[in-house]
This record gives sequence, C-alpha cells and structure tokens, in this order.
Amino acid sequence: MLFPTIEFGIFFLIVFTVSWAARWTPHWRKLVLLAASYFFYGWWDWRFMGLLLVSTLINYTAGLGLARTTHPVLRKLIVTLAVTGGLAILGFFKYYGFFLTSLSTLLEMAGLERDLPFMQVILPVGISFFTFQGISYVVDVYRGHVRAERSLANVMLYISFFPQLVAGPIVRAADFLPQLHRAPVLTRAHVGVGTVLILSGLAKKMLIANYLATELVDPVFFDPTAVSALDLLIGVYGYAIQIYCDFSGYSDIAIGVAALLGYRFLENFNQPYRAASLQDFWRRWHISLSTWLRDYLYKPLGGNRQGEARTYRNLFLTMFLGGIWHGAAWTFVFWGAFHGAMLGIERYVRRRLDEFAPPNSEAGGIASAIGHGAQHIVGVFWTFHLVCFAWIFFRADSFSTAGSYLAGFARWSDPSQYATPFLVGLIAIAMIFQFTPRDLGRWLAQGLQWLPSPILGLILGGGIWLIWAVAPEGVAPFIYFQF
Amino acid sequence: MLDLIREIETDLEDGWEAASRVELQTAEHTRRAVARFTRALWITLAIMLVFNSERLVTWVNGFGVGPVQDTVVALSVAWNERMLASGFTEPSLAARGKVDELRGASWAEFELRVDSERARAREGARLLRGGLGGGPG
Repeated sequence: MLFPTIEFGIFFLIVFTVSWAARWTPHWRKLVLLAASYFFYGWWDWRFMGLLLVSTLINYTAGLGLARTTHPVLRKLIVTLAVTGGLAILGFFKYYGFFLTSLSTLLEMAGLERDLPFMQVILPVGISFFTFQGISYVVDVYRGHVRAERSLANVMLYISFFPQLVAGPIVRAADFLPQLHRAPVLTRAHVGVGTVLILSGLAKKMLIANYLATELVDPVFFDPTAVSALDLLIGVYGYAIQIYCDFSGYSDIAIGVAALLGYRFLENFNQPYRAASLQDFWRRWHISLSTWLRDYLYKPLGGNRQGEARTYRNLFLTMFLGGIWHGAAWTFVFWGAFHGAMLGIERYVRRRLDEFAPPNSEAGGIASAIGHGAQHIVGVFWTFHLVCFAWIFFRADSFSTAGSYLAGFARWSDPSQYATPFLVGLIAIAMIFQFTPRDLGRWLAQGLQWLPSPILGLILGGGIWLIWAVAPEGVAPFIYFQF
Repeated sequence: MLDLIREIETDLEDGWEAASRVELQTAEHTRRAVARFTRALWITLAIMLVFNSERLVTWVNGFGVGPVQDTVVALSVAWNERMLASGFTEPSLAARGKVDELRGASWAEFELRVDSERARAREGARLLRGGLGGGPG
C-alpha cells in the first residue's frame, strides 16, 4: 500500500477515526494501531508478517533478559546474540544471492567452478529499517538509555508502526517508547504540521520525483551512450533531485501521518544540497540513518577518540557499511566507500588548513565576510558535484553503465534531447527550495493550525486534488522500498 | 517545524502537580483537534469524489470480477458520468492540459511565452500610467 494511493487514503481515514475514538483506553488504542500496522505490512506480502514478528520477539526477549541480569558478561552475550540474530536475518534475505554470485565469480576467476546452492530469495520490504530499529532498542536497553519494555505490544508497535515501517525514518526506541507511555494528544500544532508535511511530501514525490524519473532519469541511465554530455549532466542533476524528492517526500508523509496520530518523529532531511561540505551533507541527508550509524557503529568503533589514523579508518568503515546497507550490489559498495574516503580526505584537508590559518585568527571586516561567503559558495558547489558523482554509481545498474555514463561527458558537441524547459524548470524549482528559509514549513504550519476546519479541508483536499490532477498517470514505488 | 509538536510535549512533562490541569486541557484540545481534522478529511474526500471521479473509475476497475465488484464499478461509472456532465471534471482536465503544454514546450516557445508575458506586463504598466494611444512616432 503506497502512500499516494486511494487505498492508503481510505486506510488512513479508518485508522485515524478508530484510533482516536479509542483514545480513552490507551491500551486498546495501541492494539488498534498495531493491528493496522500489521495489516499495512501484510498488504505487501502477508508471508513476511511472521518474519516481522520473529524479529520483534528476538529484540523483546533480549530486552527482558537485559533487564533481569546485571552480570556484565551475560549482558554482553545477550546484546551480541540479539544483534547477530537481527543481522543474520537481514544478511540472509538481503545479501544471500549477492554473496553467492560474487563467490561464484571469484571461484570462476580462480578456475575453481563449483555448484553453489543458489535460491530465489525475495527481499521483504522494509527489512533494513525494522532490523535497525530492533538493534536500536536492544542496544539502548543495554546502554541504559531506555528501560526494557515489559509490554510486548509496545515493542511490537515501536518496530512495526506503519508510517515508518517500510522506508523509515529509523525511529529510536529512546524517542518513541516514552511517547507510548503518555496519553495520546492531538493539538492544532499536530494538525498544522501533519497537513503541511503530507502536502509537501505528495508534491515532492508525485510531481517532481515521478516526472524526473519517467521523462529524464530512466531514459538517460537506460543507455548513457545514446545521449549527449548535456543530457548526462541534466540526468545526474535530475537524479539528485529525484532521489531527494522521492525519499524526503516519503519521510515527510510518514512524519506527517505519525503527527496526525499524535506521535513525533525526528526530522530526516534538512535541505541537504545546501551543504558546504560532505560532513555537513551527512548531517542533512537521511539524518535518521546517519545518526544511527554514528551512534551504533562509528562511536563503538572508537569514533575520533583513538587518534587520527583510527578516525579515518572508522569514518571509512562506517560509510562503507552504510553503502552495503543500501543494497546488495558492488555499485552501492563503491558509493559508500567513495563517501567514506572523501569524508576522510575532507577532514584531513580541513585540519591542515586550520593549522595553516586558524579559523579564529582572521581579522573581521568586509573583505573577510566576502572571503567566507565565496568559500561557502564554492563549498556548496563542490559538495553538490561530489554527491552527484557518487549518485551516478548509486543509480547505475553496473560499473559498466556508470563507466559509459562518465565517458559520455566527452560528447559536448552532440545536441541535447532532454534539456527541455519543463525538466530544467523542475530541477531549478527543487534546487530553489534547498535555499529557502529553514522555517518556511514552520510558518506554513503555524498559519494552517488556526484555520477553521472547512478552510483546512479545502486546502488539504484542493492540494491533493491538484497534485493528483497534474501528476503523471500511475504510482511509481518509492526508491527506498528496495532497501 | 517539528519543534511545534515538541513544545506541546514539554508542557506535558512540566511536573506531576501540573499534570491534572494540563491533562484536562489537552483532553479537550485533543477532542477539538480530532473533530476538526475529521471534518477536514471528509471535505477532502468529497473534493476528491467530485473533482477526481475519473481516477475513482480507474481504481475500481482494478478490483477484479464478481457481483459486488461489478456493482461498485457500475456505480463509479455512473457517478463519473454525472460529474462529467456537470462539468466538475473540467478543472482537472484544464490543469492537466496546462502541464502537458509545459511538458511539450521547446526553448523557442518558452522564450516566445516569456516575451509575450513581458509585453503584456509593459502594456499593463502603460495603461496604469494613463497612456491611451500607441507609442511616439
């Protein structure tokens, strides 16, 4: 069940009405939301509801085990078993085929061909997200950031809550579980925020991402040898915008739907293409994943506390594994490794520059301000193009396609087929919104929250109607569903 | 924007002595907010049914075959025909037509459109200043 469909609209109308009608008995309300979440997941493929339940039970049991023992070795053993269990399930469903294909290729190259037990393993939707949420719960209990939940329903709802179940944002146990212990609340602020986020998410996904995908990115990446260098450039800019609008659009709708049900998720995107460095980019892009990787991988590896060399290693490993998390393909591995390497280089260069010219030693004045401004503009331009370069590998189905794409940048004399005013306009509009005031959404939400219900209904209904009327036919799945 | 919601939660966490007062207030706020958004959702549903009836037909056509499904399809088709006859689907068609026009536009057409908009703006400004005839000469 995709968000921008009639099915989801009806589903949400029922869940909203029934869950708020049950608000006087919070336990029943949670059961309503839990049943709705499992129904939502079962709509994709009912066979994987058992997998979701098993994954939840592993984490719930581990949480209870951690609460009952204070023995450090036993506690470490419990958390290790739970994390390994979760990762083993994820590894089997996501990487089994990739691992065997890579092994087969390796054996073939070494002249040691073997019959390997290949199987057609279907990837359960959202497995990467609910596995990471489960790990977050067990590790947070282990670290004492959150109390072990005695209620199975609470853990089940935390892991399966439908707005974030299939494509995030990755919600932390320490953020969400306390909300389940409070009486459910819906205020004008929730309504204002929810309405703005749902409308902006739908517009990003259905108008910008879908048009760019069907009319520019798909054809250009299908055969990069058949188009000009300008088309390739517009194509990669288009993909940068498409993936942003697709994924942040989904996150916006998820956060908005959760807000209308009385829950608060954290922000997942913050105008990432205005970042002036890669480090800044990763503070703005898929924030729930980058903070998850920081807290559960980078810091346990030692973070930046064990010397320069280890910091670079940890940065690289974190991004490398982040790349693998995205998908079972060497192009994703390269994408992660590239980001890891570039973050390391950026850190090294910045430290050397800071030694050469310490940031606080500069004199103030207009010249200095202009210098900083120019440096910032160059930083934004450079970061955006580094990210775009990496997106080529992320989007390409193989290294050969990515290679053809890069080689095509030599064909500047060929005429462009795709640089139309419509597509260039879509990219330009999306880029402009990267640089608008950060509080624009807040102002809109504040404006909406005081409107009477008929006007609010006209804005919500009119907005959805207009988006549907001008969006391309059909509903393309969200990119991050495959992860 | 999400700090708007966070502010409410901070109120709820103020302390046990304030809890009953805040709870009573928030229960009333919640009742009003739910009623308000439910009304907004019904208006949204009505707008979609009236102005987007074509998509309703496309959707129900995917239901498969059976007596209930056939009835739903027949009802949706009849509803859509009524909306078409009443002209309620016109805005959708007009909006889609505008977008299709934009999608098909070349740079030359785009420049032509920009020029004509500029000329219209100049003409508007001239009329606003009280100019009546053509330009000098």
